[in-house]
Amino acid sequence: MTTLARPVPSSAFSTSASTTLFRRLTWEGTVPLEIRVDSKELPANSDRGLECYYIQAPRVSYLPLLVPELKRFLMDVVFDEAAARVVKEEDWWFESEDGNLLKWHWPIGLIYDNHMITQSVRAAPSSSQQSMPLRLVLHLASPPTDRLLLSPSAEACKQAFMGQMKEADFIRWGSTKRMTGLRKAEQDGLWEGIREHNFDEYWRVASKVTPTAAPTRPQSPPPGNSMSLHSRPPSVDPNTGSAPDRDGAYNVRSVPVRIYLPEGPILQALVPPMLEDGNPHTLGQFLSTHLPLLFPPTPSDPPFQDTAYPLIQGVAAPHETEMAWLGACMAGADGWVNICVGLLRDR
Amino acid sequence: MSPMAGSPDTHTRALPSAWTSLDSGPSMQETLDALEAYKKKDPSKVVVRFKAVGNAPIMKQNLYKITASNRFQAVIQFLRKELGWKAGDPLFTYINLAFAPAPDDTVANLYKSFATEGHLIVNYSTTAAWG
Repeated sequence: MTTLARPVPSSAFSTSASTTLFRRLTWEGTVPLEIRVDSKELPANSDRGLECYYIQAPRVSYLPLLVPELKRFLMDVVFDEAAARVVKEEDWWFESEDGNLLKWHWPIGLIYDNHMITQSVRAAPSSSQQSMPLRLVLHLASPPTDRLLLSPSAEACKQAFMGQMKEADFIRWGSTKRMTGLRKAEQDGLWEGIREHNFDEYWRVASKVTPTAAPTRPQSPPPGNSMSLHSRPPSVDPNTGSAPDRDGAYNVRSVPVRIYLPEGPILQALVPPMLEDGNPHTLGQFLSTHLPLLFPPTPSDPPFQDTAYPLIQGVAAPHETEMAWLGACMAGADGWVNICVGLLRDR
Repeated sequence: MSPMAGSPDTHTRALPSAWTSLDSGPSMQETLDALEAYKKKDPSKVVVRFKAVGNAPIMKQNLYKITASNRFQAVIQFLRKELGWKAGDPLFTYINLAFAPAPDDTVANLYKSFATEGHLIVNYSTTAAWG
């Protein structure tokens, strides 16, 4: 179609430096948590001054993976020996400070962002709330299994994670061939990578199933230049005569995306990486298609204005971000791009 | 990389200007009303087709209309009841012989993404099949 010469990606499976950079930024993202044992459930003779635990938890991790560290702390510092003998971590479960049950199978970063957008509805953020940890309450007994949906174990969490990986694979390619093609040891390696928070171990396997945003033009600005965070990510035009990147982010059927609105619901839709006009599908277009009341299609015409903002891995992403690029660089470890929508309140 | 890298700081860092041009926007109440509109539950129903896998018993009737706003967990509970399964009896459910959805995913979301010929195909098995 077009005769413009474009540089050819060196290999469909090589991962460009900019993709790796953003994947690493996503992977290294952490959130501050304050975990307090429900004071009514503290065993007798516990050291009550110390029942709070502070942690900077990886966004891509899961609550059950924090339990061993939390247990060690409680055993060493808070519980006496008699209590330590009877406490059963199988019965532990978490609530937010305002009494919302926290899902075992949600990535911690999603729990945090979901809390942020819920706050955006309830009250204008005051300066005192800035960079406060998310306060969680740990219950030691009587888990509400009917509402938790999954048993609170790392094994159940791993199974749910694998299910999400496969669902994302199916969304992208119409089959789970890439996931089922992994050896058992490789599949386990994905989870181990998350458990150990080891970027290389996770991506050694994940790069076989996650499409790459292969650049078709000279490399984006070098890392360290803050402007690169706001520049348009490199994109692939599937209609060029150059070797088609069949595994590229811009050639998937659909990008695995979920939209989270404050206090629910969760929306899922098919998200083609390219639009019919041949242009990449952008975040602004996606939001104005699915949430036109919050993201009016023509924000330049008063009185229509965006009244909300999308939070992806804790970042308020700009309109022109391409959906395919988000899928390759800003997805969680389970392959899903989670867009939390908060309300703008400064008016 | 500092331990704080990538931590959320949307409150302390200015939002990109595209999201903050609020000189003449709708009122907060209108925005909250918009949010409420998206919270309304979809009353429509979709057709779910149950298909047994392996040794699982076959259902005489296997097509059911289910309210789209239900969570997948409700589908699992419905299936367990139809099969006469007791609590603790193993039952594994999959979409399109491919993956087990999250129990809190809605039927509407699954239908939109995975329906085949107007049906959401739910496979069930007594052993883990595509875990």
